[in-house]
Amino acid sequence: MNPSDEAPPTQQPDPRSPDAAPRVSPEVISRRKSCTADGVGLSHYILMEESRPK
Amino acid sequence: MSAEEMASGRLVNSGGGPSLLPWDIGHATHLAVMEPETAFWSLVRKDRLADALTGGELLALYRQKRSAFEQEMALLRFGLSPSAVYFNPTDRCNLDCSYCYIPQAMRQGGEQMSAERLHEALSRLQDYFAGTMARVGRLPRVIFHGAEPLLNFKALRQGIEAFDGRFEFGVQTNATLLTEEMLGFFQDHRVSLGLSLDGPTAEITHDARHAREGRVEVHGAVLRTLEKLRGSRRHSVIVTVTRHNVGVLNEMVELLHGLEVPACLLNMTRCTLEGGRQARVPDHEAAPPFLAALERTHALYRETGRKLVVGNFANILLAILAPTARRLMCDLSPCGGGRAFFAVAANGDLFPCSEFIGLSSFAGGNLFEGGVRAALESPAFAKVIGRDVDRFDPCRRCAIRHFCGSPCPAEAHEMHGGMDRLGAFCAFYEEQTRYAFRLIADGKADDFLWNGWDQGEGMATLLDFAGGV
Repeated sequence: MNPSDEAPPTQQPDPRSPDAAPRVSPEVISRRKSCTADGVGLSHYILMEESRPK
Repeated sequence: MSAEEMASGRLVNSGGGPSLLPWDIGHATHLAVMEPETAFWSLVRKDRLADALTGGELLALYRQKRSAFEQEMALLRFGLSPSAVYFNPTDRCNLDCSYCYIPQAMRQGGEQMSAERLHEALSRLQDYFAGTMARVGRLPRVIFHGAEPLLNFKALRQGIEAFDGRFEFGVQTNATLLTEEMLGFFQDHRVSLGLSLDGPTAEITHDARHAREGRVEVHGAVLRTLEKLRGSRRHSVIVTVTRHNVGVLNEMVELLHGLEVPACLLNMTRCTLEGGRQARVPDHEAAPPFLAALERTHALYRETGRKLVVGNFANILLAILAPTARRLMCDLSPCGGGRAFFAVAANGDLFPCSEFIGLSSFAGGNLFEGGVRAALESPAFAKVIGRDVDRFDPCRRCAIRHFCGSPCPAEAHEMHGGMDRLGAFCAFYEEQTRYAFRLIADGKADDFLWNGWDQGEGMATLLDFAGGV
């Protein structure tokens, strides 16, 4: 997919807004997401695509 | 005491219980607690660590998710098959960078693949992938790499035209030979473009990257190309970090951000060959300016709302937040060489990764003679694929071994004498990982990843907890 073909579904708030201020961290944080593993980059080449389908 | 109260597995770090290692991330209030084998992690407030390890949400989460995490890591580490090829259509280069991982003799007098031969190579690769990727739902990738692939543009062009729609193509180039016509061709054929640039000024770029004969204006050529690519999201820039430019990484990211480059790599020079080792910056000198440059990209994002993603660091964050979403396959053990991709040299020899192209003993076969399948099963490939951080010291005792993967096998072999040896940049990876966890603790990690990184179809949330012990 050409990332420029699709507007990125940005979920983050505008980093310039006051909402982007530092927060107090919870006592315990744990996150993990999963998808089909299809990375093929190496240190000689990478294409960082936005909104790439999985 | 009841049998249930004494059951094996109820206590952390004994018998069949969870093996959870605390790890200092250098954060004011939190530290990490991890099970290395499954890449399970949690950030815990320091004053709640004892409570977290003796009951509560952390252990409940771990028990719920362990099996899924274990299966996921097994698939990622041992269940992949290649879906990309790094293809050198020529051994030669018009530059003579001291740190290059291709030996100088090859770059100066090596082979150049004919257009007919390149066509045959793509045909053979197409046949191979037809048997392995028919139901994957995406095209295999061919990345023309080098040396300098544009020295053989005519053959490359014919190959891309003939196999348009059957591969996704990419090109990594130093840009000095890139004409308006070539750029238009690549854009017309949706070819992803990687450029190399080593300095924010011409002087620094030319300190790191020399022409083989006479003077080639590297810096200006790359900047002119980047100006033309403004607004495109299909290009990236590799900055090879050496002693020549380590002091100007902030200026480097400012330049790239100003040119609206969507992603870059700030790569420590690979040390497989002696030239790279000579240009290398020691880990303790490299980490502070590298992290400062990351901070600078964040400040630029806060100022402008536009990101410059530093891909190699983003990959460490992904290794933590979503291991299967990694884009780079170096920071993984076994690495992606010979598993997620392989490399083709200009004479058709097949290597697990282009990093090995200068090491003839790692040729696993030839595309035109034995073919891909034989190479993938060769002893040379097995040696690289068999490098497993769970099996050698000191990595097997390291809490973060599945976030860094102890790259790179070529460096471990050439610098340290074997596949079962430490990679080249252990302390540097450690500092990156600590920084990544600090960003997660402070709720900033997504600012360092591309927009929508976790929004694609097929992305599932396995765990998302933020609360009290």
